Amino acid sequence: MALNDFIPMQERCSNCSFCKWIPFDKVKSVRFAENCPAVVHGGFNTYAARGRFQMGLAIAKGELDYTDEMARITHECLDCGACDVACKVCRYNLEPLDHNRELKHDALLKGHILPAQLKMLDSFKAEKTLVVGAKKADRTKWAEGIEWAKKPEVLFFPGCKYSYDKKLQKTARNAAQLLLKAGVKLGYLGDAEMCCAGRLYQMGFFEQFDKRAEANIKAIEKSGVKTIVTPCSDCYHAFKRLYAAKGLKVEVLHVVEYLDRMLREGTLKFTKTVDMTVTYHDPCHLGRQGEPYEAWEGHEKKILNQVHTWEPRRPRYNGSKGIYEEPRNILKAIPGVKLVEMERIKEYSWCCGAGSGCSVTDKEFSEWTAKERIEEANSTGAEALVTACPWCKDNFEKAGGIKVVDIIDLALKAL
Amino acid sequence: MALSKEIYAAFEAVVGKNNISQDPGVLQTYRCRAPQSSAHYGPYDHTTPTPQAVILPGSTKEVQGVVRLCNKYKIKFKCSTTFWSAHGYIGSDYAVQIDMRRMNGVEIDEKNMIAIIQPYAIAATVQAEAMKHGLTCNIPGVGCSSAIIANTASWGGPGPSSVFTGNAYENLMCMEYVCSSGEILETGSAGYGAGWTCGEGVGPSLKAIIRGGQGTRGELGICTKMSIKLSPWPGHATLETVGTIPAYRASNMENFRAYCIDCPSWEAWGKAVMKINDNNLLYLGHRQFSMFGNEVKAAMLEIITDPEKQMADLPALMADPVVKKNNDNMAIEFHIILAGFSAKDLAWKEAALDEILKEFGCWKDEWFLEPEHEDYLKSYLMRLGHKNLNYVMIGGYEGCFGMDAANQPHTCQLIEKAFAIHKEAQVTGTYAAAVGGDTAMGSLGGHGGGGGPMGWEFFSHFDPHDPESIKGTAEYHDRGPLKFMKEYGLGVEMGHSNANCRKPDGYAFSQEEHNAKLSTLPGTNPFIYQWYVREYMNPNHLGDSYYETCDPEAVKNAVIDVNAETGLR
Repeated sequence: MALNDFIPMQERCSNCSFCKWIPFDKVKSVRFAENCPAVVHGGFNTYAARGRFQMGLAIAKGELDYTDEMARITHECLDCGACDVACKVCRYNLEPLDHNRELKHDALLKGHILPAQLKMLDSFKAEKTLVVGAKKADRTKWAEGIEWAKKPEVLFFPGCKYSYDKKLQKTARNAAQLLLKAGVKLGYLGDAEMCCAGRLYQMGFFEQFDKRAEANIKAIEKSGVKTIVTPCSDCYHAFKRLYAAKGLKVEVLHVVEYLDRMLREGTLKFTKTVDMTVTYHDPCHLGRQGEPYEAWEGHEKKILNQVHTWEPRRPRYNGSKGIYEEPRNILKAIPGVKLVEMERIKEYSWCCGAGSGCSVTDKEFSEWTAKERIEEANSTGAEALVTACPWCKDNFEKAGGIKVVDIIDLALKAL
Repeated sequence: MALSKEIYAAFEAVVGKNNISQDPGVLQTYRCRAPQSSAHYGPYDHTTPTPQAVILPGSTKEVQGVVRLCNKYKIKFKCSTTFWSAHGYIGSDYAVQIDMRRMNGVEIDEKNMIAIIQPYAIAATVQAEAMKHGLTCNIPGVGCSSAIIANTASWGGPGPSSVFTGNAYENLMCMEYVCSSGEILETGSAGYGAGWTCGEGVGPSLKAIIRGGQGTRGELGICTKMSIKLSPWPGHATLETVGTIPAYRASNMENFRAYCIDCPSWEAWGKAVMKINDNNLLYLGHRQFSMFGNEVKAAMLEIITDPEKQMADLPALMADPVVKKNNDNMAIEFHIILAGFSAKDLAWKEAALDEILKEFGCWKDEWFLEPEHEDYLKSYLMRLGHKNLNYVMIGGYEGCFGMDAANQPHTCQLIEKAFAIHKEAQVTGTYAAAVGGDTAMGSLGGHGGGGGPMGWEFFSHFDPHDPESIKGTAEYHDRGPLKFMKEYGLGVEMGHSNANCRKPDGYAFSQEEHNAKLSTLPGTNPFIYQWYVREYMNPNHLGDSYYETCDPEAVKNAVIDVNAETGLR
């Protein structure tokens, strides 16, 4: 789709501003009622999904050209999808998140690329990763010494962040070894592993994403595995939703799903007590955006004169089928761990601030977003903020103010 | 004429560089495309003018600073909070738009049962904060995403719970107001040491002058703080909901009962509503789901309470015999919540309700007696957080809106007649959606001190993307509902509120145009009175002309058109 294809949607947005708030049934305080980091931080309506529709409409109709400020605002969207969920509490024919991404894509096509995005793109081209400064040659170092299965059935895909970030590499090793120890026939692509490119998609680099996805799908198919398991929420979203749309047929699981399955099957049991009160942060791309892809081909159809719908019935992504219970099941199964919830959770969770490359392209905004979440976490009285995504963990740690724990590390403590 | 660098810098010095913008993209998002505006506007296909700048003040002092600069440089201004209607947007070229979103404070005074709020405190957040103290607020019928100050200062603000909590305007206590002249005006009893608790002291009622009737008139200044009355909430400190999006349902409203009351006739409906009101049974009373359309409401309820269903399922659901039967049952209905301040209180209310229903042959709707549906109704009505369902059919809705009661014995018999007009358009109309309400809609608390009246609302849906749909819907409302309202004298028609204040090109009327329009009307005096008020509070005429005024000089030579309708609205 091009931006012009969104004109009907841009004009059908009622400007109600639901996109700025968590679903109203869930509001418990004035402090944590808003959902969109961009509009809370930026202030102007322009930053919210409704403003992006308005700005996009004027651009699509040729009434406006991007200014530098417009391009900056366009890219100052975390791709968190909170607006999408809030909108769809009532609306069935708007896709704010898809529009936000298309607006970014349109800006890029017209040459409005941020300097930091250029660096990321250069890194992607040269080193096959969006982690600026990382070298392809170092990608597999984290896995040195791990004995992978000779005929793997399950592919372990740690992704760029776990592979290159020295603070996180141990967690990736722990996850892989935990699964191997449990008897999972686990394999690794090694040198053939490259960035999933999910972040490129979030930033609007659709063409670059397509190319990388096609190559990665070939590599995955060549490995012959039936399942991919990843500890990274961004990779999970890329495989589960974006690659599936491009024909990837294998089962895609996040580590938390795998561990939860093992707990239920009895192949994993937590034996040690971990006395800790924790709160859990739902990563956007595992939670509300972690819904499975459903194939659809169809067209708009009006019924009863003007009631707008699709023929055939179109899949509805509104966060209802995201991964929420699996990580909570793991936490509840660990003896001594007490889970206390924040006000904004699950499909209406507040973002960590790292989405859509913003932790690189707009550090101040990204850190502010993380600090907001940390304040919410601290308001629960929790000792630690647990998450299931390396990008979230890194961003929270950079912001500081609370102990941040990867759910894999916490699970290992209990074994 | 664009703002000069000097003027821009002066505004920037007041609010800081991050809180002002002149970027074309930012300005574009402060223009209202009329068909996308909230209802009761008239679906014209235009967009409001582009502001010279958008300014986000963060305090009363900053608001005052901005307004003083507007006076100094003769720049018009208009403020808004949630920007959900053309009312809040500027109407002239040399104007700045003031966005109040940085001022969202909510302070609860539990002892005095009041909330002191800032402009961007929306109903959802005020209610959530109040509930922590065993209190709640009136949530206007437009829904909890609306700002309480905007509703209270410039709108009647009836809502589902108004029967218990009072309408928004009845709850207004004190105001802090930055006049268009830049002076700060405080109403209430602050001078007597009672803080924000007493609405009026001795002397004339300033708040009645400042408060608007419909929509943010924006002429006299900017309300920066307000205290409102709160009401007892016999529930938990937070409203908890369970269920899968979008079918969230209340999980902790044990002290409450929610019912849909079905009636055998409009006459029984009107009488039952009045008697229930007379006996003070209700915590909340509303007629909600008729907005979907009488033929589709049961089917729509199946969709919105089931996460797996969607709009494409509508035809199949409408054809389902069980759903059809439900639809027939709830043809003439209203929705209520009873609250138990004690177990005995709730039992008494239940018994009294049963007796009244028996007397008029009404009954509790079976579909809503299912616990999950009752819980859905509880949270839906109590928080009113799904009001964007008004737009669910396609994206636009319009309601020819009247202030008189639909459920009085002498008027409820007209509902069938009104519905026939609507139904004819549904069948024969090309552009209005073939669904729409039956004209009786809204709060049982209604206007004027509660007690039962409910407004008329000819609700129809249209496609804001389709110019023919926009035009057809506007024409239908003029030739059908509006004509009907006038013919039967059903009160002041509010459907064209914006059209009375803003021209079809999106610009506000000039003073000369107001004079020409208002000076020849039989009811000119109120507009002359408003002219004097405006001259005092806004001597430089910096607000937009939504606040309708007529220059007394213009009346001197005017010839009154005795056949014209009264100018009162």
